[in-house]
Amino acid sequence: MAIKDADISTGLKTEELVINMGPQHPSTHGVLRLIITTSGEMITKCEPVIGYLHRGMEWLAQNRNYVQYQALVDRVDYLAGMSDSHAYVLAVEKIAELQVPQRAEYLRVIMAELNRICSHQLSLGIFMLDLGAMMGFPFYAFRDRESILSLLEEVSGQRMMFNYMRIGGVHMDVPEGWLAKLENLINDKLFHYTDEYEDIVTNNPIVAVRTKGIGVIDPKKGLDAGLTGPNIRASGVNYDVRRDKPYSLYEEFDFNVITHDAGDVFARYKCRVDEIRESCKIILQAIEKVRGLPGGEHAQADTELKAKKILPGFKCPAGESYECVESPRGELGVHLIADGTQVPYRLKWRSPSWFPTAFVPELVEGQPISDVVATFSSLDVILPDVDR
Amino acid sequence: MAVLEKIIETATKPVSKTVDGLYNIFLGMYTVFKNTSRDPITSSYPTKMPELYSRSRHRLALNVDPDTGEHLCIACKQCERVCPDTCISVIAHPDVKAKSSQFYIDHGLCMFCGLCTEVCPTDCIINTVDFEMSEENREDLIYDIRKLTLTQEQSRAYFQMKGYKTKREKAIEKANADPSKKPPAEGGISHKAVEAALAALGVEVAA
Repeated sequence: MAIKDADISTGLKTEELVINMGPQHPSTHGVLRLIITTSGEMITKCEPVIGYLHRGMEWLAQNRNYVQYQALVDRVDYLAGMSDSHAYVLAVEKIAELQVPQRAEYLRVIMAELNRICSHQLSLGIFMLDLGAMMGFPFYAFRDRESILSLLEEVSGQRMMFNYMRIGGVHMDVPEGWLAKLENLINDKLFHYTDEYEDIVTNNPIVAVRTKGIGVIDPKKGLDAGLTGPNIRASGVNYDVRRDKPYSLYEEFDFNVITHDAGDVFARYKCRVDEIRESCKIILQAIEKVRGLPGGEHAQADTELKAKKILPGFKCPAGESYECVESPRGELGVHLIADGTQVPYRLKWRSPSWFPTAFVPELVEGQPISDVVATFSSLDVILPDVDR
Repeated sequence: MAVLEKIIETATKPVSKTVDGLYNIFLGMYTVFKNTSRDPITSSYPTKMPELYSRSRHRLALNVDPDTGEHLCIACKQCERVCPDTCISVIAHPDVKAKSSQFYIDHGLCMFCGLCTEVCPTDCIINTVDFEMSEENREDLIYDIRKLTLTQEQSRAYFQMKGYKTKREKAIEKANADPSKKPPAEGGISHKAVEAALAALGVEVAA
């Protein structure tokens, strides 16, 4: 107000300025374009433009058979390919009524949680990068992510596009000595590394100034907007698909659902750091369970890994199913309609990144422009997941 | 008293906040400093090749039989059918049965999902651990059968690495482990056929 009065008195006037942030902005986690209208330093209007990464994943599903589409599913959210695969295979298995062997279920849980850890680590590194910590901190996160990715490569064949989970089970058993390697990594390194992040970032007063009380999500509004995962748990909503709608064998595991009350950027950061530790705990329990299975560390027969050999000509019986999993970004669902042929009749993704992207204007309007990047980055949106 | 407490709090709060902030900044710096003396986590790629695993999925290639050097592709076209990107095309030999005359893989289209290697009945098509395949033209990424086929030594190495069994090993296993299928002592037709097949491969079977 004061500025306006001063303008009138001197005969000067300010105009609103439209700024295009993106699509190739380094901190938009993919290619998102934000059309921001600013008045001075303050944002009056913000409009996200999406669709730059649209690949038609749903249309591709209708043109490929179930086995072929399985190979593409990891690309929906490339930082958490295991969660994508998990949702897809659960949806198909529900219609086809396949009973997945226990060993395969535990391996799925291990892989999905490992993938969650490395997704959270990447999001932490990039979050600090977006706040301006150009050198230093991101490399801690990437160092730890690298060790997990090489483990995932050893078992599945690739670092990000795993193609590991299959309809009715998993592709292959873990290699010799892999579980011991994983156990050592978690016990010796991952807990310690997570403490290191906390030492560097959590209590740092500069980070606190940039993140506390900024981008506050109201739990009611957040739920109405469809936010799930760490974004809404940081606002105090105690909802986790793993606990509230258990899939796979998550009922057997003992873990806490992390919630924070503040709902600001810092709470979301803290929520993710704490979730890394919870995932580590789940993996340690799962390793024990795999070792306790008949056959020990290694599967004796193929039937321990797959309910049934699925050939490329696999025909899913007619039916409809919706299955959701807790991906690192929230509730990831697959709605599948099968008509008894080799090809899905219709497949719809409920991707958890779409909802926070639509919620960005709500968060940033009325805030200074310097908070846009901090707010958006804390939502941990992945654009391929938005556009599909 | 309450007023006095408030005064003390107002006076000490900035001090405690400053001390706390300084402590945490130094804690962070100390953590960073501890990491300065450790070994680097990066590796300089062209001089040091990354360590890959036997399941790593990179450039596709075709195996020959490690023992005989005969091409393993039988032109069944399973890989062509399963490929989600339709990047494989197999052309069967016009005269010889179960043999391909040409085999094209467009590595520009391929997404290295590994489905073709899973469906191959003869363990012919495999994912190698070679990832250095950059070309100047897009057309050069379309590999033909000559470029795809591995040598006998390379095939042997990949057979060992991936744990595949060669024809010879399979034949030995079949003859040794399955005595029920062995014909009666006077000698039947099938027994002779098995022996002949093994003799052709140069295998001696324990009686």
